[in-house]
Amino acid sequence: MALSLRTWSLHGSASPDRNSGTRAGWWAWFLQRLTGVALVGYLFLHILVISTVQAGEDTFNSVLIVLQKPFFVVLDLLLIAAVVYHGLNGVRVLLFDLGIGLKQQAGMFWICMVLTTIITAVAGYFSLPLIFRN
Amino acid sequence: MAAPLTENQATGVIGFWPWFFQRISGLLLIALLAVHIWMGHFSGLRAVIEGSQEELVLYSIVQQRLAQGLFVFVDFSLLGLVLYHGLNGMRNILLEWPAAARRAQAMTLGLWVLGAATFVYGAWALLAFIL
Repeated sequence: MALSLRTWSLHGSASPDRNSGTRAGWWAWFLQRLTGVALVGYLFLHILVISTVQAGEDTFNSVLIVLQKPFFVVLDLLLIAAVVYHGLNGVRVLLFDLGIGLKQQAGMFWICMVLTTIITAVAGYFSLPLIFRN
Repeated sequence: MAAPLTENQATGVIGFWPWFFQRISGLLLIALLAVHIWMGHFSGLRAVIEGSQEELVLYSIVQQRLAQGLFVFVDFSLLGLVLYHGLNGMRNILLEWPAAARRAQAMTLGLWVLGAATFVYGAWALLAFIL
């Protein structure tokens, strides 16, 4: 409890961002955490899946064939969205550390969201043949 | 329940170097993941759609890629950097929890052990493609 209470009291203040008057800063922070924790979980699964190769080439291939079925291609698109957002927002935070864009924080969050949407949509477009193949 | 830490106390326990290397590893990961995701999901797409290749990722495909020194370097770098970045991020979150912040050293050591063990496990898996 102390964890979430303190986290929310630091980042989830009731008052909107100082410069934009919106809560974009809270959303940027929340999504960074959400994607970060999700990606750590995925990382361990990813390593586990790859390690099936130690049970032999055929085991690895049979696992990988399942994981390239349309359902998992769609999940991969969620993964791409999470990675792209986390990376873009990471750069956004890095720029603030360097003193760049401190007054455009909300605008830069929306740029991250738009770029994440565009990149995921492009990846989705190119993945369509994999999602709808027999 | 213990009194929560002030913001100053919390950023103080994160430390300069973990903060600094989180940014360095993050930047390197952007470049390496772009290569990694491209190779895994998109480079063989045309071959799969045209039917000359069965799947994007199969043992033989990964093995051929890892026959090139560059990709051995990319994959081992990815494994190390992503474990550092991910577990360091978890540490930053956990340090907001006063009970964990008070045992920061033990927790940091625990995360290093987890990261090192996972690196060895992941490297052992990768070696099956290389050796």
